[in-house]
Amino acid sequence: MIKLENVYKSFGDLEVLKDINLEVNPGEVVCVIGPSGSGKSTMLRCLNQLERITSGKIYIDGELADQREMGKDLQDIPAEKVQELCTELGMVFQRFNLFPHLTVYENITIAPKIVKKFKEEDIKAIAYDLLKLVGLEDKKDEYPSRLSGGQQQRVAIARALAMQPKIMLFDEPTSALDPELVGEVLEVMKKLAKDGMTMIVVTHEMGFAKEVGTRVIFMDEGRIVEQGEPSQIFADPKEDRTKAFLKKIL
Amino acid sequence: MAMFQGTIVTIQLTVVGIIAGIMLGVVLALGRISKSRFLNSITWFYVWVFRGTPLLMQLFIIVYAIPLFTLDVFGAPVRLPLLVAAAVAYSLNSAAYLAEIFRAGIQSIDKGQMEASKALGMSYYQAMFKIIIPQAYRRLIPPVGNELIMLLKDTSLVASIGLFDLLRTVNQMSNATGRWYYYIYAAVVYLFLTSIVQLGFERIEKRYSIYD
Repeated sequence: MIKLENVYKSFGDLEVLKDINLEVNPGEVVCVIGPSGSGKSTMLRCLNQLERITSGKIYIDGELADQREMGKDLQDIPAEKVQELCTELGMVFQRFNLFPHLTVYENITIAPKIVKKFKEEDIKAIAYDLLKLVGLEDKKDEYPSRLSGGQQQRVAIARALAMQPKIMLFDEPTSALDPELVGEVLEVMKKLAKDGMTMIVVTHEMGFAKEVGTRVIFMDEGRIVEQGEPSQIFADPKEDRTKAFLKKIL
Repeated sequence: MAMFQGTIVTIQLTVVGIIAGIMLGVVLALGRISKSRFLNSITWFYVWVFRGTPLLMQLFIIVYAIPLFTLDVFGAPVRLPLLVAAAVAYSLNSAAYLAEIFRAGIQSIDKGQMEASKALGMSYYQAMFKIIIPQAYRRLIPPVGNELIMLLKDTSLVASIGLFDLLRTVNQMSNATGRWYYYIYAAVVYLFLTSIVQLGFERIEKRYSIYD
């Protein structure tokens, strides 16, 4: 469904991703863990091309979305094609990034309206379903500044889902939240996972990774050091670096 | 009556100057923040020239120098009607200032907003016009109000190209009659007009603060 092949990413002289190979299949919930600066977020951001990779290949839904070598495009993939493939990916950011000048309802509906050009009544139906899913029907006319962090992040999830993506990317979705608000966001994510959504979740919530993840990936210094089933990674990590990291945080 | 007509000229120049200036200013601002080096340099050059030279000189160039220049080069002078020439000068000049205001306003919006827009599949221009610029509005209101008031007062410079705006009319009437109080009239009208702008912008600012 998603495939990264020999992906490298540098910011100037700093190499943040080194030879990343990863394949994610439909229905998987892949949790990416690792110390900060290990390249987890960058990997997600490269998938939907918020950052362009330096070298390597990215496939989305079986189709080539990016192929580069030494910072140059190898394939001239038309911009519309790339945009179309990237809308198969929904993204949830650490800092929510809701549009503050739009109400909750408008936040959810603006992209389906102007990007997908859906019909008004279809959009409305989608939006109401999503508001129900994230439990915020009564907040639809509020502006984001009136909501708690947890509520904002739930709106952000609904906003991403409104584009009907096949895969959801979560970039540390609970890291900016007060501890008591983390649960409500994780609840929504669990619901999604149960409904069979394919998800890649960069997270520090080991409980979530254990409970919901179908696979855990440990990254360090720009590489995928180890991956496997959550039970194996948490109970019996093979690599020393994984052991050291888990010891520090658990 | 003459004073009324002079006031109309002042208002016409201000209104045309701010509207044309805003439209051109948005285009220039988009050029200034664009990734294209070409657009970047020409818009930079524009701002550099129009902000870096006196407005009165720009007026003189359009009214006096361009007719002479076109006479030399093409054999016939291109001469705009005075009011039009002045309106062009004010539009071009205010566009340079407004472009910088808009650029700063757009760049003050959190980068996460553009990223979220892109992640939702919006194009750069969709994100700009639906997400980024609408958020910049509120921050732009005070400096644009400032620019409008400056523009209104600077229209008095057209006195020196022989256009009868409010100040020139008053000046002439005072000279002709030997009375001083015409200037009071001018001051009152200018203050009245700038007050409208100020109050109007305060209201707009309040209206846009709903989502904070």
